[in-house]
Amino acid sequence: MSAYLNTRVSLFAAHLWPAEDFRTLLRSPEAEISQVLMEGGLARLAGLVPGNDLNSLEQNIIAQLLDETRVLLRPLAGNARAFLLYWTERFEVTNLKTLLRGKMGNERPATLLNRLTPMGAFGRLDVQDLAHAEDVAELLRRLETGHYAGIVRQARQAFEDSHDPFLLDAALDRGYYEGLAHRARALEKKNGPALRRLMGSLIDRINLVWLLRYRFNYKLPPAQVYYLLVGAHYGLSSASLKELSALGSLEAVLAALPQGLRQSLADAATIPEVFARMERAAAAEAEKVLRSAAPDCVRAFAYLILRERDLRAVRAILRGRNLHLPNAMIEHTVGQLAQETF
Amino acid sequence: MFRAQPMSRVTLWLLASEAADTALLLARHSVFAPVLERDERMPEAPAERYREVFQEADSRLSKILEHYGGENGAAAGLAIAPPIPAAAVAPNLVELSELNDWLKALWQTCSATSLAEQRIEEERKRLAALRETFARLETLDLDISRLFKLDSLLDARLGQVPSGNVRRLKESLALAGYLLSVFDTHEGQAFAVVAGPRGAEEGMGGVLSQAGWRELKVPEELRRHPEAVRRFLNLESEHLEASHSGHRRAISDSLSQYGERIQGARVQLALARPLAEASINGVRGKGQLAVFTGWVPKQALGELTRALEDRFHGRYLIDMRAPRREENAQVPSLLLYPLWLRPFVPLVKSYGIPRYGEFDPSLVFALTYLLLFGAMFGDVGHGGVILLLAVLFYRKLGPLAWLGIAAGVVSMGFGLLYGSIFGYESLIEPIWLSPLHDPIRILTVAILFGVGFIVFTLLANSYNKLSAGHLGEALFDSSGLAGLIFYLGAAGGLAGEAAMPAVSGLSTAAWSLALIGITVVALFKWVETPATLGERVLVTAIETLETGINLFANTLSFMRVAAFSLNHVALALAVFTIAGGLGTTGHGLTLFLGNVVIIVLEGGIVAIQALRLMYYEGFSRFFNGDGTEFVPLKLVGVK
Repeated sequence: MSAYLNTRVSLFAAHLWPAEDFRTLLRSPEAEISQVLMEGGLARLAGLVPGNDLNSLEQNIIAQLLDETRVLLRPLAGNARAFLLYWTERFEVTNLKTLLRGKMGNERPATLLNRLTPMGAFGRLDVQDLAHAEDVAELLRRLETGHYAGIVRQARQAFEDSHDPFLLDAALDRGYYEGLAHRARALEKKNGPALRRLMGSLIDRINLVWLLRYRFNYKLPPAQVYYLLVGAHYGLSSASLKELSALGSLEAVLAALPQGLRQSLADAATIPEVFARMERAAAAEAEKVLRSAAPDCVRAFAYLILRERDLRAVRAILRGRNLHLPNAMIEHTVGQLAQETF
Repeated sequence: MFRAQPMSRVTLWLLASEAADTALLLARHSVFAPVLERDERMPEAPAERYREVFQEADSRLSKILEHYGGENGAAAGLAIAPPIPAAAVAPNLVELSELNDWLKALWQTCSATSLAEQRIEEERKRLAALRETFARLETLDLDISRLFKLDSLLDARLGQVPSGNVRRLKESLALAGYLLSVFDTHEGQAFAVVAGPRGAEEGMGGVLSQAGWRELKVPEELRRHPEAVRRFLNLESEHLEASHSGHRRAISDSLSQYGERIQGARVQLALARPLAEASINGVRGKGQLAVFTGWVPKQALGELTRALEDRFHGRYLIDMRAPRREENAQVPSLLLYPLWLRPFVPLVKSYGIPRYGEFDPSLVFALTYLLLFGAMFGDVGHGGVILLLAVLFYRKLGPLAWLGIAAGVVSMGFGLLYGSIFGYESLIEPIWLSPLHDPIRILTVAILFGVGFIVFTLLANSYNKLSAGHLGEALFDSSGLAGLIFYLGAAGGLAGEAAMPAVSGLSTAAWSLALIGITVVALFKWVETPATLGERVLVTAIETLETGINLFANTLSFMRVAAFSLNHVALALAVFTIAGGLGTTGHGLTLFLGNVVIIVLEGGIVAIQALRLMYYEGFSRFFNGDGTEFVPLKLVGVK
């Protein structure tokens, strides 16, 4: 089984797009985009061009990721399988948030259902039933009897107390990533430092970006900011997150970061820039793990991270071209996603 | 019985305002399977909104019925599904929307009650836990007033929080200058005091509610002693119970008020369901026109058109045509079976549904499967036990019991032919032969049966190819007539070589026939392979060789029929040998357990082997099984 997964990951790794392919996609004439996507192994997206309805594009990107995850899951069992399965649940948490926002906006069930990402065999939500909930309160109550009860329960209470959709989203996100970190811990002992490095780059980025957003965009008090962060600590320890939460400006936070992070984020002036730099660093780490002799399930995880980054870059290019944005602007946006891309 | 019922493609044009009634009429007759047809002249989906409203209403009705379930619902007659009157008409969109609005309003009332009930339940649990906590504090004789004492400096709160959140909440509160102290835990909840400098509340933001904190607001006059708190908790419980009774009364009252109308809504939605379901497969239209497209069994067309005429008096246009050959893959298969054959059908369907126009192997399957089972498990006693068990558990097994009965009878029949009762070979004379005493003969018969079976599969495949319009494959392919000629020739040649008296003189002619057959197959492969010369040579050589190997490997596979009939006797002999070395009790017990093992283990294996022979050596040769079942619109009962 290990040989199977090893081969599978290596074969999939060959699907990752080199920088040249992104350039070709960006500069190809309209009529040739489908062909470029086909040649890049993205036949599923080729059918959506031209026009590329944004919802379908997003849904097809996720469908592609789910298809590949399904193949990678086949030989896995136990904690490794549970971890990769949970990684796919991010998309369903997004569906869950779409349902909640739809209910807040009194959207019709049929419209709401159209906006959801089909999860196929990975789906755990009874979306038909949930879309027909009368309001947010009923939706939350129904969710509490299902697979996401653990994540939803406290989010419901926070929402009932504050009626703030932002806090609802924050509670759901936090619940999800706490679950991911919990599952990763079960694997880290067996799979050595490679998974820890991947999780570290993911959780540190999430924690730092959330901290900056909550503190300086939403002006939340330090106590609440700290509580909303993921309670798993890699590069950013609990003590440093507490300290950072209490600081008063972006510059002060960046200056107080541990050595490695401080250097890589030096001169970052905005939160999106911090996010982009950390995402590039995470992708570089995933690239290293993928090309290393790390355990197969960790390489599979690294591949999925990189594949998602590629697909999002493809989406950005298609979207940009659809909106007739200048090539330079698209290049800049995609360059934010992955330094190696351009 | 050997192929699906002939179908007609029906397109029905009518007024969009009558679409719901049309769908209802089609559903009442259960003969129309809707199908999506793209037609640029009919770009609209006139029933789309109808379906959305139906789904909303249906979902609300389900929730309402669930809410009123139990005793109250039963008392109001909700447990009994109301009948659908024969003359009832389907609601139109306006009526359906009104019904949906009413159900929405009713569900909002129900939902509020339901939410209140849920909160009461949560509150009950909380109070029960608190009561226990304070019972413990009471024994300490603690002056609780000191915990809640209001003064200008301290902001103290008493409450509970999920135990898993305590550590993080404690750390967060520390950032706001607050302290958290847990004084008890119960069922995953920590009971705690949160205290900090008055005026620093803002620093906490929403962290307490984020962490799932539930504050116990004890009135000031009661903040004196645990005993006072206990009295307060009892009072709270009484309020809760009173509130609960109030809600139950409200449910009961509303049910007696709305029960009849709910029953009416159930009927209305049952009448609306056909159009909602038909629209999934695409009721198309434009302006005031709606079009239904679907498949109808040819024999039901007359009755259906008469019913349409009676109901719509010419306000419709119907077009009917036979399916085109290239449509065969899309035409649903309506397969009708006599009652006795039905238990075998699921075994065929587990392989696949016969494609429209394809030979339906159910009857052949039933007969051959039983024959193979009997031949491999021929024993009057063991067959009798299977028969008896199937009869005894007839109600539990349902249609499956017929399988057991048939298998038991056939097993008994072969038992008489083999002269075997519970493995004893000497109690009765075999009518035909005893496998153990004449193994060569039984092996020969098994192989001859295999030859016959494979000839049948090749003929069936030729028929299927022919009815699908693939004349070349039917005549010249390895599974077609050319393959059959090769197989018969080679089988005859081999029989001649083996000096079977009946065919020994025909050996040369048989081999010539085989040569002709395999040459035709090779030529066909050559023509059908669009590749370079080298690749063509390779593919033709390998596929032709594979034809011969496969056919003979499949034939030899039938030797297992004889092997299992021998195995049955051998297993019984093993049981007798073990039992023979034991005392009276051990002897009896061994015989009993041995026979149980033979029936359960060997019977199971034989059943699987017979199935395997049917699927692998039979179905895989001629049966595509990629058809779709005919699923008509139906008027299902009310929810």
